[in-house]
Amino acid sequence: MIRPLVLLLCLASPLQAGVREAVEDHALPAFAGFTAGAQALADTAAQDCTAEAVRPAFHAAFDAWLGASHLSFGPVEQQGRNLAIAFWPDTRGMVPAALARLIADADAAIDDPAAFAEVSVAARGLFALEHLLYDPAYKGYAEGSYTCRLVAATATDLARMAAEVETEWRETEAPLLLDPAGSADRRYLSEKEVQQQFYTALQAALEFDADTRIARPLGTFDRPRPTRAEARRSGRSLRNVTLSLEALRDLARALSDQPIPVTEAAFATALETAADLDDPVFAGVEDPAGRLKVEILQQRIDAVAAAVAGEIGDQLGVTEGFNSADGD
Amino acid sequence: MIRTLTASLAMTTALTLPAAAQDRAAVLETYADIAEAAYGDSLSTAQDLATAIEALLADPSDRTLAEARAAWIRARVPYQQTEAFRFGNPIVDDWEGKVNAWPLDEGLIDYVDATYGGATDENAYAALNVVANPTFTLSGEEIDAAEITPELISDRLHEADEVEANVASGYHAIEFLLWGQDLNGVEHGAGDRPYTDYAQGDDCTNGNCDRRAAYLTAATDLLISDLEWMTRQWAEGGDARMAVTSDEAAGLTAMLTGMGSLSYGEQAGERMKLGVMLNDPEEEHDCFSDNTHNSHFYDGLGIHNVYFGQYVGVDGTVINGPSLSELVAAADPEVDAALQADLNATMVKLGQLKAAAEGGFSYDQMLARGDEGGEAIIMAAVDALVQQTRSIERAVTALELDRIGFEGSDSLDNPNAVFQ
Repeated sequence: MIRPLVLLLCLASPLQAGVREAVEDHALPAFAGFTAGAQALADTAAQDCTAEAVRPAFHAAFDAWLGASHLSFGPVEQQGRNLAIAFWPDTRGMVPAALARLIADADAAIDDPAAFAEVSVAARGLFALEHLLYDPAYKGYAEGSYTCRLVAATATDLARMAAEVETEWRETEAPLLLDPAGSADRRYLSEKEVQQQFYTALQAALEFDADTRIARPLGTFDRPRPTRAEARRSGRSLRNVTLSLEALRDLARALSDQPIPVTEAAFATALETAADLDDPVFAGVEDPAGRLKVEILQQRIDAVAAAVAGEIGDQLGVTEGFNSADGD
Repeated sequence: MIRTLTASLAMTTALTLPAAAQDRAAVLETYADIAEAAYGDSLSTAQDLATAIEALLADPSDRTLAEARAAWIRARVPYQQTEAFRFGNPIVDDWEGKVNAWPLDEGLIDYVDATYGGATDENAYAALNVVANPTFTLSGEEIDAAEITPELISDRLHEADEVEANVASGYHAIEFLLWGQDLNGVEHGAGDRPYTDYAQGDDCTNGNCDRRAAYLTAATDLLISDLEWMTRQWAEGGDARMAVTSDEAAGLTAMLTGMGSLSYGEQAGERMKLGVMLNDPEEEHDCFSDNTHNSHFYDGLGIHNVYFGQYVGVDGTVINGPSLSELVAAADPEVDAALQADLNATMVKLGQLKAAAEGGFSYDQMLARGDEGGEAIIMAAVDALVQQTRSIERAVTALELDRIGFEGSDSLDNPNAVFQ
């Protein structure tokens, strides 16, 4: 029943494989999920901003973000929202420094959402919140304290950004991606460029999982860096990799209109490896046996990237464009 | 299939038109010539810097310090234009950290203000202060730093403990030694190190002036030897030149990869947008000297040079030859026209940023929280760089280089591995 409709659409506007699925079945639900998660977090923190009360909603919102974070182009890239939502890696310890400064100054920006939106991204978003909820430096902050109000302000700010991103995806980004040639915005000159955009996002996110989320704590054999694991304070390092892989598999399926058995097998192997890895914050990187297991997960993700290139890249006839992680 | 077609077309048109292969070879010659000239200029201006530093150390004064600072700023002009060669050429990228690593935990090198803090989670040696300490322990090893030599800096201190922020060598280490920390936050003003930090005997301020002078001399010597090495790589028969001229598709990919990666991930993202989003004056590329606007401007010009096949040297010598622009135009005139327009538009935006900074609205002021004017100036340049990146991708497609993959995309090194 769907097929004739797709064919008709193709005649009207020759939309190439997967873009409609990637937009409608993947991206829009992902951003709606993040909005719901961030709004629930803001509602919870508005009721009770103490760490114990906020933590479950924090995890749910973070989970939802991982469903969408790889779609880092368009509304998420605009106004640096990707940095404001999730500022990591923090290679210079700016999150604790920026938070300490806000708290020491009792900065009034937390009482005004518009002013808070101008605050350094190091003191906003999921990673600032993680510090406040989990770092020993803030342990036991009281209801009514500045720190507590900062938690609530951060949650509200996240919900605002999530809602803005979702709205922009629905109202401008999705129509643009579905009909690039018919849009006044000349960002994409053809459907092929839209496919390449999704494909680049997929590959860049796989690289981020392997080369940043896992490689940072791995460090080198002589100098492993367990404290560089992402979101280790809240015990989410491995969970973030797993949820990212699940989201990327969903995108891979949406983007391809033919069977992708090699890619499916590679994702299945990587996800099994992640599920079997009993090391939630990659603390095992300091021990040779534990390190090997983390390295194997990294290799499994590299294998997914190779499968995606050989199978989906080939099907679509696209290769990876530049991504924001190029450079240092 | 495409390759065969190109080859046969080239053969049939060879009698009347220059063959595509010859065009490509000539474009790559221009590219290597620009690299050789720009690294050569970087070397000669670094030698001028060394002369100015010798004069400063022989006779420390406000004047000799000002002259050394001016020589450093001049040395940045050609060097920043070479950054367009970095990401596409592994030989440059593997070397670059020695001369231009940034950002740095400057407390590794010399004294810092109390607000700097000490060791961090990321870097146990963020406040090591080599100038003040002739011996210290580094990653469990006792280091004899009684004599500060280029070897000590390059082999022991640089990236000590495998921390990238331990920048012991290069332009920014020298910049710190000439200017000192910029303690003005997002207010106007650069670092204000007194010349007496290099005065010997009783006039010495902040201690260890002899060791500070030795460090500055050794770091400058090291910069010169590193630049000599890179200039040789681009000379006739050099490895970098050979790498791009021996495989034309790889050479053209290196050109476009260098342009795109510098435009987008590095300059628009890491160096410009991140600073705006963090409101952090330390997040400016030349943070001690407040020379960041020039750093960005000449990076942009370096990208422009690569595409247009032109470089104006520090003595006015012009390199001008068959260009990437001409190749792209032959393949797809619209793509070339758009990319030309984008690169020129970026230079206008970077020129406006430079003009504002030179007019007195310094880059760190633009980063202040809520400073909408500053943010608009920087983000206009960021947007232009992002826009040109899209056109660079289209040039990759127009030249049918898109089956090769960009540097950094490890997954594309051997995409068919899983099928074997």
